[in-house]
Amino acid sequence: MEKYIQPFIDVCVSVFKDFIGAELVTGRPYFVDKNDPHEWDISAVIGLTGEARGAVVISMKRELSLKLTNALTGTEHKDLDDEVVDAIGEIINIIAGNAKRGLEESFRLVISLPTIVRGKGHTIMWPNEQARIICIPFKIFETETFCLSVAIDSSSGV
Amino acid sequence: MKTVLVVDDSRIMRNIVKNTFTSMNIPCQFVEAGNGKEAFQQLESQQIDLVLLDWNMPELSGLDLLKTIRSKEKYKALPVIMVTSEAARYNVIEALKNGATDYIIKPVNEKNFREKISKINF
Repeated sequence: MEKYIQPFIDVCVSVFKDFIGAELVTGRPYFVDKNDPHEWDISAVIGLTGEARGAVVISMKRELSLKLTNALTGTEHKDLDDEVVDAIGEIINIIAGNAKRGLEESFRLVISLPTIVRGKGHTIMWPNEQARIICIPFKIFETETFCLSVAIDSSSGV
Repeated sequence: MKTVLVVDDSRIMRNIVKNTFTSMNIPCQFVEAGNGKEAFQQLESQQIDLVLLDWNMPELSGLDLLKTIRSKEKYKALPVIMVTSEAARYNVIEALKNGATDYIIKPVNEKNFREKISKINF
């Protein structure tokens, strides 16, 4: 499963550079359990189906989601409004869609429309019980962080 | 003035696509749709000269709209450029096989747009 992670790291770094104009510092990926507590305020989820099954999720604090939306819209946002949902959903959509290119030698994937989950301690419904979840931590704007979580089970493709 | 139909379920992306297109200084006006179904209604109700079409959308996907467009004789020559995050080569091939005029992978940039638009003599 770990071998499928590198395309997501590479794409995340390039998408943030090209789409947001921000440099990322990639941290060391680690396994998480779906029930682990977390500090994030908003997550965007894309389901993966096809020749493998899983999901890719971007999670961040409220302040970062507002900053990213401001960068994409050129207008200031102070609340987690529809435009923030739109922005974070589009970011995960572009990451997932571009990561498919790096995974195409392994399997063909179909990506879902993004779903947004908000709130302190929100829960992600991971679509697959078998796949281990890897969290890739990133640092952005020098002091802020976000997490890209990926779970892919290539044995359960349909 | 020519009319460009920008189809994407993300309003932010529609604005980015419009701004990128506008930066090329091509005189045109825009109409927008948030899914394939709305886009087809726009197509049927006015003269459209170019469609910039996302793939993953609710109601009717970009690929399904593309198939619908190409099934109708009156739209055979209509330029339809996919503008999508679907970057896998099998996706590009599928879109081109189904009649996409060209394919732009998000995130979009002006250089990429300029190259593609110049090819269709818009």
